[in-house]
Amino acid sequence: MTKKEDKTQPGEEIKYDSNSCLQLVKVNKWDGSAVKHALDDAVKTCLLGDRPHLKEQFGLVNTRLALCALAVGVAIMAHAWDYTHPFPQSRPVLMFSVLAYFALMGVLTLHTSFREKGTFAVAVHKEKERTWEASSDMKKYDDKYLLTLSVRDAKGVQRELHSAKSCAAYIDTNGIILDNLVANEVNRLYNSLSAEKKDK
Amino acid sequence: MGVASMLQIDEMLGDFNRMNKRQSLYQVLSFAMIVSSALMIWKGLMVATGSESPIVVVLSGSMEPAFHRGDLLFLTNYKEDPVRVGEIVVFKVEGRDIPIVHRVIKLHEKEDGSVKFLTKGDNNNVDDRGLYAPNQLWLTKKDIVGRARGFLPYVGIITIFMNEYPKVKWAILSILAIFVLLHRE
Repeated sequence: MTKKEDKTQPGEEIKYDSNSCLQLVKVNKWDGSAVKHALDDAVKTCLLGDRPHLKEQFGLVNTRLALCALAVGVAIMAHAWDYTHPFPQSRPVLMFSVLAYFALMGVLTLHTSFREKGTFAVAVHKEKERTWEASSDMKKYDDKYLLTLSVRDAKGVQRELHSAKSCAAYIDTNGIILDNLVANEVNRLYNSLSAEKKDK
Repeated sequence: MGVASMLQIDEMLGDFNRMNKRQSLYQVLSFAMIVSSALMIWKGLMVATGSESPIVVVLSGSMEPAFHRGDLLFLTNYKEDPVRVGEIVVFKVEGRDIPIVHRVIKLHEKEDGSVKFLTKGDNNNVDDRGLYAPNQLWLTKKDIVGRARGFLPYVGIITIFMNEYPKVKWAILSILAIFVLLHRE
């Protein structure tokens, strides 16, 4: 359920202006976390929208979802077991479940803090065997939206570019995300990283 | 202020509508994990204290001036701890769900360690034989839910209030649930 489908003919220049957007994204501009998520979505759409050779990968997100589901499963199982075998008999099972649950929560926290680290989009370029990753960071009461685009090629060499701009650079006074401004920034980073590639 | 809060709900709903399948699943799982964490902490306390109900609320004034209605009690139920006269125990009468917090006033102990004891609330005039099951004159260890080890005054009033007005409880819980489900991280 992506928020925009891009239906452009090859060779046609894409003009993003608020009239051609099928759906205007409006956020509460004072809610830092909502702004960050909306900008992440906009960056992802711009990165993947007009680049059909990039296929989105869901490995990281799937791992996180699987860990969460497993933890919830353990909790449900513990509750059901305790319900059918009243407390003193269920003690060993409960002890194991509690330890397993908090261990899984620890693994989940490690995964989110170290492996995922703000990454919201991973895409693979099949023919050239390159992996593109987009991650972002925005501190709690800060307005700087730090966007990082990185590319790893088949040999494992990774290069990245950062863009640190105020989130006000992409949002108008009414809280509407201006996709053309986001696209400019994303394209700038993408082309710069692609160009460096070709030189090597 | 009312209009502003309406607008925020509007944007939250907009945010929610734009979530794809994975994000929606993550919202549901986040909510489930909050509930599961609370459940696991409770079960962990049960295992650690050995009691099936490690935290109870005093429901009546039968133990005044020691405990008042609404006090929160922390219990443990270790098998090694002997039951002694003067201790405050929390017990359940067979066939009734509500735990009772009273003091042990008489105790008989056999050589093998099994006990039978009689309880009475400090603020009551008679002992608890009227509360026990028909033909039951003494309590035994298996009726004990736990021994009171610590307490917090007045904190349990919220629980009593929520149980007396269950609609308020469900209303508050529903609003919290909806907020957690719709708000991203």
